[in-house]
Amino acid sequence: MKIVEKSSKKQDMEFKPNIVCFCCNWCSYAGADLAGVSRFQYPASIRIIRVMCSGRVEPAFILKSFKDNIDGVLVTGCHIGDCHYISGNEFTKDRFERLTIILKFLGLEDRFRLEWISASEGKKFAELITTFTNQIKKLGPLNNI
Amino acid sequence: MVIKGKLREYLNNCYQCAMCSGICQMGRIQKYTPSRIIQLIIEGFEDRIVESGMLWDCLTCNSCLEKCPHEVNFAEIVRDARNKMLDAGIMPKIAHKGFYTLLSEIMSKENITPEKTFEWVPSGCKISEEGNILYFVGCAPLFNYEFDESMNNAVDTLKILCKIENEPIVLLKDEKCCGHDLLWQGKIEAFKKLAIHNIKAFERSGASLIVTSCAEGYRTLKIDYPSMFENFNVEVKHLVEYLYEKLKENKIKFKKEKKNTKILKLTYHDPCRLSRFLPKSFNIYEKIRYIFKELEKVGYVYNEMVHNKSNSLCCGVSCWLNCTDKAKALRYHRMLEAKDVADNLITTCPKCEIHFRCLQNDTETVQDINVIDLSNLLENVIEVIPSKQNK
Ligand code: SF4
Ligand code: SF4
Ligand code: FES
Repeated sequence: MKIVEKSSKKQDMEFKPNIVCFCCNWCSYAGADLAGVSRFQYPASIRIIRVMCSGRVEPAFILKSFKDNIDGVLVTGCHIGDCHYISGNEFTKDRFERLTIILKFLGLEDRFRLEWISASEGKKFAELITTFTNQIKKLGPLNNI
Repeated sequence: MVIKGKLREYLNNCYQCAMCSGICQMGRIQKYTPSRIIQLIIEGFEDRIVESGMLWDCLTCNSCLEKCPHEVNFAEIVRDARNKMLDAGIMPKIAHKGFYTLLSEIMSKENITPEKTFEWVPSGCKISEEGNILYFVGCAPLFNYEFDESMNNAVDTLKILCKIENEPIVLLKDEKCCGHDLLWQGKIEAFKKLAIHNIKAFERSGASLIVTSCAEGYRTLKIDYPSMFENFNVEVKHLVEYLYEKLKENKIKFKKEKKNTKILKLTYHDPCRLSRFLPKSFNIYEKIRYIFKELEKVGYVYNEMVHNKSNSLCCGVSCWLNCTDKAKALRYHRMLEAKDVADNLITTCPKCEIHFRCLQNDTETVQDINVIDLSNLLENVIEVIPSKQNK
């Protein structure tokens, strides 16, 4: 009989990233919902936080996530022009462009992404999560780069 | 009982004369009585003080220490207590949604190495990674995120340094935040990590002199780093000290601006970190005023505000805590004082500058005064005296 030590099995456990995804209520969240309803497969690495509009997402939220060792952050909203509150996402775009400069300085820009996803783009949502998760997997966990 | 050691001694030194409560800057706008807080702590109600969260309100402006007959350092007690308050889960309200504090906290992680870019360095300035004189830029490039003019200070300081020094100035690529805000918010662990990183970086560069143009950065590098770390003994100078020495050594002078049709009326706001937070022996008040005296010779007018030097009023916020309408009231008062005597308000603390400018955005009555940093003012007027002329 071959004896397998329990702990050795644990070691080759795969790195499962923790990703936070902010979804706006009117498009992206519906998109995520559609992805679920249509049974598109995507990794279970994300935690969705629903906000009323992508304009609600403060840059400080992103930093707070990184401070608490979240490996990646996604912000999603309606396509430009589709925002339920008319221009919330334009505002978001502007402020995250500014934030990217700072993330670059910290070497964290690859761990953050801003995407537009409409209510009908369930497939795109699933793909986004898959590619982003793979990207983060390649980068490794944040707390021991 | 949380307050021990040196701080406890401070407390026991208190006479209960209430001088501090009389002078307290926070006391001008809300009920705030440091002497009473001290008494409650001595009487054993420390937990209640910590739980009430009232220590988050202190501006840590050190006005109370200035007036205290027995040198009770209340701000330091507050700093220590804040650490305990965080442990107890009593959180402060941090301005800008905590953005800048979070940045410092992320930076304090050992595995994060920032990469500064130097595209802002003015052309003609020689910079290097190793050398004698290091310019500690500080957070200015990060403030750029919200405050468009925040880089001017760094650019002009670097211009001044390059003009005076022949050798290239050292700028660190991986310089982290000095940690001032974290320290005064009571996040001492994170502060220490930042400090260790910076001290190592300073050593690597081989610099023998660190110049900074930020009042908070100066106080932190000059006083707090050496007090916590034995092996940090690089000379640190604020731009004010640096220029004062150069003036005294006859290396520089101020030139007259030719097209100076309108006489500029100046006044100076002493930031707390570059006045009350330094030992008296630094003589910083006189050094800065010497610079203004020299400026008067070339046609500027310098007027003192009603509250000046160690009496100077607070800009209303320190370490990003509690920027409320109360803080704005303090700021408003300060700006009115400045407006009475001058049309240019000079300061040496980038944060004071940001705070004053911010108030100008929403209050018309103070819009006509120009808030600038000392480096912005001096960049154009400094002239280097060639060394041959000296002999
Ligand atoms: S001024 Fe100093 S001695 Fe007087 S009450 Fe305040 S802390 Fe105590
Ligand atoms: S540091 Fe300033 S705000 Fe705090 S108690 Fe002393 S005088 Fe008041
Ligand atoms: S509601 Fe979707 S971005 Fe504004």
